[in-house]
Amino acid sequence: MAPASTQAPPQAPAQPKATPVVPHTNLKVGQAAPDFTLPSTIVGADGRGVRYKLSDFKGKKNVVLAFYVLAFTGG
Amino acid sequence: MKAYQADIAKFETTDTQIFGISVDSVPANREFGKQNGITFPLLSDFKRTVVKDYGIFNEEGGYGNRATFVIDKDGIIQHIDEGSVAIDPAGASDACNILTHKKATP
Repeated sequence: MAPASTQAPPQAPAQPKATPVVPHTNLKVGQAAPDFTLPSTIVGADGRGVRYKLSDFKGKKNVVLAFYVLAFTGG
Repeated sequence: MKAYQADIAKFETTDTQIFGISVDSVPANREFGKQNGITFPLLSDFKRTVVKDYGIFNEEGGYGNRATFVIDKDGIIQHIDEGSVAIDPAGASDACNILTHKKATP
């Protein structure tokens, strides 16, 4: 009697990720980050909203920009 | 964003400023920040200029896609996460630590 032959699993492993996220940044590591000035949620001592300029951090701090989508935020 | 908030102490010790950016209004972001206990600044790119500059503007949806950029003190991009991976702050956190160590080495 022949031993049971090894059988290939009938179905391919399920692909867990199906995320058709469309636009990809054209920026690359090593490039200069585009500067910007934007209003923020922070209120200054004068009671006005604080505006932040990216280039103000040059030579001072690293900056993490976390772009998010308010309506779909889960993280 | 909540994940970022939870990790903020780690980021701050590495001499780093965190910003959240969305195309929502300042009042909407303020409400969102309040609800989620977010202490770092949330920026409003309501003119959608920054999401376009960074190439993550979703034309169809009219909003910015999820992405995280780490920029060093020279204004140079050192790390990029896009899409769902950008929800996890570990990648950005690691990049910050690398930058800090770089600075420490003469």
